[in-house]
Parts: sequence; C-alpha cells; structure tokens
Amino acid sequence: MKNLIIAEVHKLFKQGKTYYAIGAIFLIELIILFSAYSQGQSVLDILLDNLKKSFYFEGNLLNGNLLIYLILNTLWFHLPLILIIIISGSVTSEYKDRTLLSIMLQPISKWKFILSKYIVGILFTLVIVFFLAITSFLFSYGVFGQGDLIVYLDTLNFFEASDALYRIKHAFIFGAISMVFYSIVSITIAIILEETTKTWIAAAFFLIISNILLKVNFNNYFLDNWLYVKLTDTWQYLFYFEIPWGKIYWNTSLLIVYSAVTMIVGIIIFNKKDIA
Amino acid sequence: MRHFLILFYVLCFGYISAQDIDLDIIKIQKRTDTILEFSAEVKINVDISFVNIPEKSARIEYAKNEDTKVFSEDFVLIPKKGLDISLYQLFKNPFITVDRGTETRNLKTYKLINIIPTNKKADFSIATVLIDLDNSRVNEYEINTKKDGSYIVIMNYDKPSSILPSKIEVTFEIERIRIPLKYMGKDVQVNKEEYKSNEQKTGTIFLSFNYTDLVYNSFTK
Repeated sequence: MKNLIIAEVHKLFKQGKTYYAIGAIFLIELIILFSAYSQGQSVLDILLDNLKKSFYFEGNLLNGNLLIYLILNTLWFHLPLILIIIISGSVTSEYKDRTLLSIMLQPISKWKFILSKYIVGILFTLVIVFFLAITSFLFSYGVFGQGDLIVYLDTLNFFEASDALYRIKHAFIFGAISMVFYSIVSITIAIILEETTKTWIAAAFFLIISNILLKVNFNNYFLDNWLYVKLTDTWQYLFYFEIPWGKIYWNTSLLIVYSAVTMIVGIIIFNKKDIA
Repeated sequence: MRHFLILFYVLCFGYISAQDIDLDIIKIQKRTDTILEFSAEVKINVDISFVNIPEKSARIEYAKNEDTKVFSEDFVLIPKKGLDISLYQLFKNPFITVDRGTETRNLKTYKLINIIPTNKKADFSIATVLIDLDNSRVNEYEINTKKDGSYIVIMNYDKPSSILPSKIEVTFEIERIRIPLKYMGKDVQVNKEEYKSNEQKTGTIFLSFNYTDLVYNSFTK
C-alpha cells in the first residue's frame, strides 16, 4: 500500500498539468491582489456607505487580512475546479493511456490501488490548500500589511487583526475539508465515467449545481442542514461575529462522513469494474 | 396709527426678549471656555443593529477653538457627532436661547433650553439642551443638524464638580444597509420586508473617557 501511494505521488508530480494547476492558483492570487489594489477601496466605500454619514473612519481596511479573505473566496469555485481537473485526471489518464490494464496485470489488489488514488488525491488537495494559504499570507501581508478585517455576512462584521488571523487560519483548515470532498467526488466520477472530457464536464456540472443549490433556501430542516451543498461553505461560519462552533463541527463531521461514503462507493464500483 | 405703534412696540419688545441668551447657558459657556486643552484615552463601543465591532480605543486631543483630533492604531469608527465634549460646536456661532421650562430625568429636574443659531454657518438649526443647574453643566442635548439628521447626546460625569463628562452616549439616525448583491457573501439572507421598508434605524455609540493633560484657564474645574 505504501509503495502504491509513493508511486501515485510520483505520477502526480511527474505530470505537467499538476504544475499548471499550481501556476494557475498562483496567477489567480496575483489577479485578486491586483484587482483588490485597483478596486478594493471602491468596494469598501460601498460597504461603508451608510456609516459615512455618522462616522469618520480612522485606520486602513484595505489590508492583508481583507486580501486573504478575498483569496479565500476562491474556495467557492476556482480552487475546487482546478482540483477536480487535476485529481480526476489521475484516474482518467490511466484509462486513456491503458496503463490501468498493465497495472492490474500485476499482483495488486484493485481496492488498494484505487484507495491509494484517493489517499494521494486527499494529500494533494491538502498540500494545494496549504500552498494557497502560505502564498496568500506572504503576498497579502507583504504587500498590504496587517489590519482589521471587514466582512459582510447579514451584518457588517469588523474583526481586529489578531482575531482576523485566527479566523482566517481556521477558515483554511475547514475550507480544506470541503476541497477534499470535491476531490473525492471527482475521483468517484472518474471511476464511473472513465473518459477525461466526460469526467471534467460531469465534475464541473456537479460543482456548478452545488454552488447554485447552496444559495437556495429549501425551507426544509433536513435539506437545509444535511444536504452536502449546505456543508461545503462551513468555513464561512468563521466570519460570523460569534463563531457557531457547534454548527461548524456538525457540518464538518457530516461532510467527512459523506466524503467517506463517496470514497467507499467509488472503491466498490472500481472493484466491480471489468478493467479489461 | 396708535394700533400700529402698539404693534411695533410689541414686535420690538418681543424681538429683543428673544435675542436674550439664558444666563445659565452663559455660565456653562464660560465654564467650558476655561478648558484650554486636554487629551483623553477613549473607549468606543458601537451599538448598531447591522454592525458588529469590538470595543475600540483611541486617543483624542482637544485644543480650544479647534476641532477635536482623533488618533488610533486600529481601525475605529469615530462618531461625527458627540465627540464635541467641550460643547465647542454648540457655542461656536452666535445664537439665541428660548427657555422651555424644566424636565425631570431619573427623579432630578433639569432646565430645558433651546439654542437657535443666528448665523447661517452653524451646521445645526436647533439644539435642545438639558441643564443641571446644581452643577452648571449640560447633561443632555439633542441637535437637529442641517445635513446629518438629528442626534441625542447624554453626558455622564464622575464627580459633581467635573466639567468634562466621563461617559457619553450618542444616539443618532442611520439608514439601513444597502449592499449590492454581488458584494454579499454566501448565506446572506435578504429580509424583503426590512429591505422594502423606508424606516430609519437608530444607532448608539458609547464613549468613555480617561482624561490626561487637562489645562484650564482659571479657577473653575
């Protein structure tokens, strides 16, 4: 099993698209930094518009913490999309290049092989989120410095710099779990569809639908609290003024269960597949 | 002709009376005039339904006949109104007063005075002031500004002899929040009824002062 994981890591980092993905994340960060630099103040002006009549503002809100928060918002779509493409590719490329057939001719258990794909997919996702976090901290604090964070979530919430840092760090941790869920789903879709383009379309469709449904209020306790789409934005709860830790732990636990179930389903399907 | 002269006399007499400035206001004005400068550490708490902000600290510096300066290392919301604890803005322009009798607050009776600026430069049209006659100081005032709506300032003092308040509450009108949807994060619920309503909300700022470097001109403290 250990050798399978090492082999998968080797394959992942040998393929060029992995580096394209890392480059894309890096580029998205730079674009966000540039757009925040050029438009950040006007966004803040809109947010603070009706406070201007009653208050003067002392201090700078266009700072590193706001920038990292904006970068965190790539967790909605950009980052899972890139992860889906790379991670599902690790399975579909095996079908496409017919390397899967040669691997299966070896004395390797099918479930161990596909489990190693899932494990490497999860590890890769965590590494990418960690890379996103580190680079966003470096860029944002390096260019804009620290300061209080303003977030609009039903209310205008202001967080002191140290509190903002604490919340952002935890948002990356809980955001990583959501990203892991999407990665696992993409591998499972790849197992089912086998073909690269079909897998990308299906996985992107899954992501789009998830984002659309997230905004829908079902007015049903089960759907609003148990449906997977309502769990993938858990990191945003870190930016409520009072952090609802109970809700965060519940959502995260449930998402881990859904991820595990999706992975088990994928392993079962792969085990039953006739590779030849 | 006689009627005209009587009418002229009444109008002139009435006008002259209205130009009088209440003696208690003059006393308070003289008392606050003794403050030449001060600085203070201020704790700021904001109570607005759609704003969550932790307690903030700032330092204010006042020098007579100048606007109060505010310094802070953090981001702070500094109230446009209410930081005028020396009542400089209230007495800055020429004004007349109208005695409105008395009003009781917390079992204590205060004198009620209207201050009406006679100069167009004043940024308020009328102020209603509650005076503590025992201690010759203002305890509460409501100002109707020309541009920024009205606001009420309640001043609390730690000693009967204090001229400057130790705590201030500023209540003001504030428009409900209007943020374009594209700036809204996930999970933001739009309350349609609230969004359609034109009702103005009120906010309150609580300021507590710890004075340093108080410089007085003369005897009164």
